[in-house]
Amino acid sequence: MIEISHVDKWYGTTFQALKDCTTSVAKGEVVVVCGPSGSGKSTLIKCVNVLEPFQKGTITVDGVSVGDPRTNLPKLRARVGMVFQHFELFPHLRIIDNLCLAQEKVLGRPHADAIAKASKLLDRVGLKDHAEKYPAQLSGGQQQRVAIARALAMDPIAMLFDEPTSALDPEMISEVLDVMVDLARDGMTMMVVTHEMGFASKVANRVIFMDQGEVVEDAIKTDFFDKPRSERAQKFLSKILSH
Amino acid sequence: MNYHWNWHIFFEPSPNGTGTYLDMLLSGLMVTIVTSLAAWVIALATGAIVGVMRTLPSKVANFFGFCYVEFFRNMPLLVQLFLWFFVLPELLPHAWGLWLKQLPNAPFYTAAIGTGLFMSARVAEQTRAGINSLPRGQKMAATALGLRTAQVYRYVLLPISFRIILPPLTSEFLSTIKNTSVALTIGLIELTAEARAMQEFSFQVFEAFTAATVLYLLINIVVVIAMHFVERRVAIPGYISGK
Repeated sequence: MIEISHVDKWYGTTFQALKDCTTSVAKGEVVVVCGPSGSGKSTLIKCVNVLEPFQKGTITVDGVSVGDPRTNLPKLRARVGMVFQHFELFPHLRIIDNLCLAQEKVLGRPHADAIAKASKLLDRVGLKDHAEKYPAQLSGGQQQRVAIARALAMDPIAMLFDEPTSALDPEMISEVLDVMVDLARDGMTMMVVTHEMGFASKVANRVIFMDQGEVVEDAIKTDFFDKPRSERAQKFLSKILSH
Repeated sequence: MNYHWNWHIFFEPSPNGTGTYLDMLLSGLMVTIVTSLAAWVIALATGAIVGVMRTLPSKVANFFGFCYVEFFRNMPLLVQLFLWFFVLPELLPHAWGLWLKQLPNAPFYTAAIGTGLFMSARVAEQTRAGINSLPRGQKMAATALGLRTAQVYRYVLLPISFRIILPPLTSEFLSTIKNTSVALTIGLIELTAEARAMQEFSFQVFEAFTAATVLYLLINIVVVIAMHFVERRVAIPGYISGK
């Protein structure tokens, strides 16, 4: 589904954010990307739908090369859902309108169909009663669930999560993770940047460990947690799992 | 000071034969209002476009926006009006220049367009500041949903940033109204010009300019109150100034 091959990215001319990154996410697979801050994991996931441009290498999504100048990027992005660390709901639109905007303006769905789809998804994430509210009237955890519903409203073929729980208060993390676990069990293809190792061990198929712009380890889940091969991954795991 | 006060002067007939001195001032007020509205429409429309250009990734658009803003905000309004009114017709091909000079209501068009463009540089800077004050993630989230750049601005960035810059935009509107008085130098018979004419005809300088002051104050108060209602009307619940 997502093939990342030998991707290099520089910010400006001096700082190389990604170094020869290669990995893939198969259809229906859940891949967790972890690593210390500044390791390039957010940058990598943003390269998949070209929110960040990259200079070398190729990324294909469902067979479409995203770096190809002939690729219709808006069309491709509409098929790949994305959830951000800071939710990024549109503050001036009600929850229901947040879910309808792109359905109508990008997919051209009639308003009634968009509303129906949105209501169904809000119900699924447990927020049907909040449809008429504005984002600022919801808690962080609720906003993030809306953001997930907004991405799902586009009927994506894959979902990208960029640290979806990092900005949440601890008591709200599980309500978001629950939605994501459900999604994974439903067979959604997911690429998830997160530090939630509990989530990784529960639903991930593979774990990718990044450090200083490189993919240091790319292993199936059990191998990663039981016997990480690289010293850097061992160190990282010992730090985040020690408490 | 040997001054003969006469507040009844407003109801005495003016020598230009169009009614009383009050009628003179009110007709000037109308010209001021119409010129200000026309200038403000021009300032808002072009200012918004140029402001958006300064936030686009395109270097060409950015440079154009930069030159536009610096051209229009770094020259006194008076000089700009003289340029459009006296210099431009001479620079154009002879036939065009002649057409311009013979245009009926030339002072009005020149004042509306000249003041509009002068103010548009300021509106552009406000717009740019408003857009840049939004979190980068808003643009990313909208882009990730598949919206094209124009749609990202139309449906997400501009509706939020215009709400943020509404208070300074009110000030710009007030400045536009006051700045139209400069157009008396190119022969626009607006409120200040009528007050001066009244002073010259009647020698009642204090009464004439007291009336002009009160009338300017009144229209500006109307604008302030109207904008206050607009601000309340578009406030986002739970966001910034919203309730």
